[in-house]
Amino acid sequence: MTLAVDLDDKDRGGPAQPLLSVAGLVKHFPVNRGLMGGARSVVRAVDGVAFEVAKRETLGIVGESGCGKSTTARLLMHIIAPDAGEILFDGEKVGTAALDLAGYRRQVQMVFQDSHASLNPRLTMEETVAFGPRVHGFSRAAALSRAHDLLHRVGLDPSRFAGRYPHEISGGQRQRVNIARALALRPRLLILDEPVSALDKSVEAQVLNLLLDLKDESGLTYVFISHDLNVVRFMSDRVMVMYLGKIAELGPAETILQNPRHPYTAALLASMPSMDPNNRTQEAPLMGDPPNPIDPPPGCRFHTRCKFAAPVCSAKEAPLGAVGLDHAVACLMAIPGSGHPLAPALASEAA
Amino acid sequence: MAIATADIALPATKRVSRGYWTDVGRRLSRDPVAMTAACIVLLIVLAAIFAPYVAPADPYKGSMIRRLKPIWDANYILGSDELGRDMLTRLIYGGRLSLFMGGLPVALAFVIGSSVGIFAGYVGGWANTLIMRTIDVFYAFPSVLLAIALSGALGAGILNAIVSLTIVFIPQITRVAEAVTTQIRTRDYVEAARVSGAGPLTIIRVHVLGNVLGPIFVYATSLISVSMILASGLSFLGLGSKPPEPEWGLMLNTLRTAIYVQPLVAALPGAMIFITSISFNLFSDGLRSAMEVKQ
Amino acid sequence: MSAAPLVDVKGLTVDFAGSAKPVRAVSGVDLTLAKGEVLALLGESGSGKTVTMRALMRLLPKSARIGGQVRVAGRDVLALAPDELAAMRGPVVSMVFQEPGIALDPVYRLGDQIAEAVMRHEGASRSQGRARALELFERVRIPSAARRLDNYPHEMSGGMRQRAMIALALSCHPKVLLADEPTTALDATVQIQILLLLRELQRELGLAVMFVTHDIGVAVEVADRIAVMYAGRIVETGSCARVVQAPQHPYTQGLLASRAGHVFAKGERLGTIPGSPPDLANPPPGCAFAPRCKVAEAICTKDLPREYQAEPGHVARCVRLAPAPATVAA
Repeated sequence: MTLAVDLDDKDRGGPAQPLLSVAGLVKHFPVNRGLMGGARSVVRAVDGVAFEVAKRETLGIVGESGCGKSTTARLLMHIIAPDAGEILFDGEKVGTAALDLAGYRRQVQMVFQDSHASLNPRLTMEETVAFGPRVHGFSRAAALSRAHDLLHRVGLDPSRFAGRYPHEISGGQRQRVNIARALALRPRLLILDEPVSALDKSVEAQVLNLLLDLKDESGLTYVFISHDLNVVRFMSDRVMVMYLGKIAELGPAETILQNPRHPYTAALLASMPSMDPNNRTQEAPLMGDPPNPIDPPPGCRFHTRCKFAAPVCSAKEAPLGAVGLDHAVACLMAIPGSGHPLAPALASEAA
Repeated sequence: MAIATADIALPATKRVSRGYWTDVGRRLSRDPVAMTAACIVLLIVLAAIFAPYVAPADPYKGSMIRRLKPIWDANYILGSDELGRDMLTRLIYGGRLSLFMGGLPVALAFVIGSSVGIFAGYVGGWANTLIMRTIDVFYAFPSVLLAIALSGALGAGILNAIVSLTIVFIPQITRVAEAVTTQIRTRDYVEAARVSGAGPLTIIRVHVLGNVLGPIFVYATSLISVSMILASGLSFLGLGSKPPEPEWGLMLNTLRTAIYVQPLVAALPGAMIFITSISFNLFSDGLRSAMEVKQ
Repeated sequence: MSAAPLVDVKGLTVDFAGSAKPVRAVSGVDLTLAKGEVLALLGESGSGKTVTMRALMRLLPKSARIGGQVRVAGRDVLALAPDELAAMRGPVVSMVFQEPGIALDPVYRLGDQIAEAVMRHEGASRSQGRARALELFERVRIPSAARRLDNYPHEMSGGMRQRAMIALALSCHPKVLLADEPTTALDATVQIQILLLLRELQRELGLAVMFVTHDIGVAVEVADRIAVMYAGRIVETGSCARVVQAPQHPYTQGLLASRAGHVFAKGERLGTIPGSPPDLANPPPGCAFAPRCKVAEAICTKDLPREYQAEPGHVARCVRLAPAPATVAA
């Protein structure tokens, strides 16, 4: 397992220091409305997101379209620049002298959702995987040899696949190549943006198993983004639920999925098909579609669809507050004395 | 190795992988229209190159007593022109200048336009806006008008005609190049390359060029016919080549007085322009459909 | 089920004459759909599920050659003239697509599109058509339906567009509704709403529904019966409950085992089906699943297994279900 070798050399802060910590991340995309640009509005794609990813853990990010999960991935990768907020990687602020963007990107890589669009149709598999090492000064022979190693590691026999073009292999195989490419620079953190959602179910399981194997062997850390709660539950140690650019709930996977504290998390869980023909879903947990992130509702962004919504929810935004060990939720019902009728009483009042 | 292999079900005899262009060539060779067009173009080009060996007579030597002979005349297969020169010979020699003036401006514009367009498309932002709006100003004029105006301003002559035609085609090619590059730039594989630390020049060389040059090239081949017609038009107006040089557009001009005497002979240079340009177009169409990657 | 089934397909084959080798996308599908029944066609991409369904309406590209027999509401679909086919689409069979953008005309108001369909097929007046459109919009629970009738498709969210498309599909009182992955492009919280809506409409209108999906969970939510397709054939058919609880074909078993939802212990791996689906231009001999099958025997790569009954109404194409002496004799 050649990849695992030099990981610990790069480890600076020790195991207790989070590998990634993100604070106050904001990205708004301007939208021009009308010719005169009169009413200029913004898509609040990511609006004040903060979280940490511990070393060798998998953080799952889950949410519906427009919740900002893919934008978060691109911000983490610095494919787009954030409007505000900072990203610390193993204690170093990204973009400073201690850790410049190039140095950061050697340690953080990304796997994209669309296995087809993320491979150059004019390059063979080995050329695609060898591209990164070539850029970082490897000789052609060394880069190709690493590419062959990696193809082998992701389950593709190099003697048969190295010379193929993307249109000559299946979607699952393409996604394996994408994973191999992301590993080519021996990163410590892998950001996986919906890596299996375009794959058939039988192939999805193969790729998920592969990702777990690679993580165990190489001590990788994952940020795993998906809209599929089942997949996120299977992959993640901790889960972050996003809704319209904000974190709704964040905590250990089992805690969140067995005892969700945010009504949105509960609704997402209840929206999963039941898989029990004798006990089908009888009532849709939520009505309507997710609102447009251009003009998100005031107060708690979920109150327009929430069945527990009280008048206070449209007036006051709920901060992300701890409700248990390593478990935080942004809901007024969880905050004592928030004014929501279902919120617990303040400790002082109870006493 | 704990990792399940992905490929055990694949038949071992799966076809050997081929490069993209091999596939395109194979598909193109199965297209009868494109292949016929390519053969016609090739025939005309070869005849022009080897004109001294193929042509039956001297293109400049006329005879005052054998003027405007009809087609299938005993001495002149395709008749003779207003100065008694052999039409077949002059049509073969005329291909030299006509193809040159059709091809060279497009080739020059391909190089310049692609560079500008790829740059604008890859950089984006205000630089893109500046370049593309400037290009749009040129694009706003009809190409015939622009070619005549530029040639007129630069003065008659082959070189000036080529320069003005090149200027006419640069905006068109730039726009196509910019459009495809902008499209490619947002592909995930370009982002993946950026993320792996590659600089813009490396990304353009490895990931952009290979994917944009094809479509631009197809567009450029479709411009050759336009270029030939414009070049002939310039010559017809006296802004291109000068008599007694054989050139199809010029021949069309000098023969127009004979249109009531020998209408078929007078139409021959026009027919050559028509056949050549339509062949270029059909070939370019075939190339375009052969390049559409089917899944 | 004494009456003849509403949809009766026998030996359906669909070949695509491609540029290189013809591809047999569907190779011998038999299926029936009774009045008021919901059948889910379950399969991966390339399994032929969508092609099978589209063959019922002959909604296939010109390069497709359809063979076999397709009867819908007593009509031989493959023998219909183009105008008869057009008359059948709407009042007899109609379809809901995965991407409503394909079926809805972007430049017409939604209410007008529905009114138009009603006018064409039922000879109704414009005002009757509009009234029917309003009724349908309320039926599919589009909020403030009267106002929404004047919307263009792009002015609606994904879930609302899908509701509008269902309204359009129901506009001419079809007997059979074909649904091609109608919820795949939707978010989970919207998907369940649409599934419940389809289930409710199906029950109230007594529709026969054929539902194409790649997601077992979705099939379980809506279907009475499930037909599992693999490489152009139906490999297993049975009641929804039996297929999920007692799958007979190794492929169905593999699909169920590979669902991420059923693993709960951390670090455990999913059951997988190795390899990928076969290239339909060169299908493997015998059972198409044999090269990926963990329990394949020598005979599997020789003969195409026929359908064997596991229990009444539950059949699978797998030799392991054959009565024991038969295989030995062969």
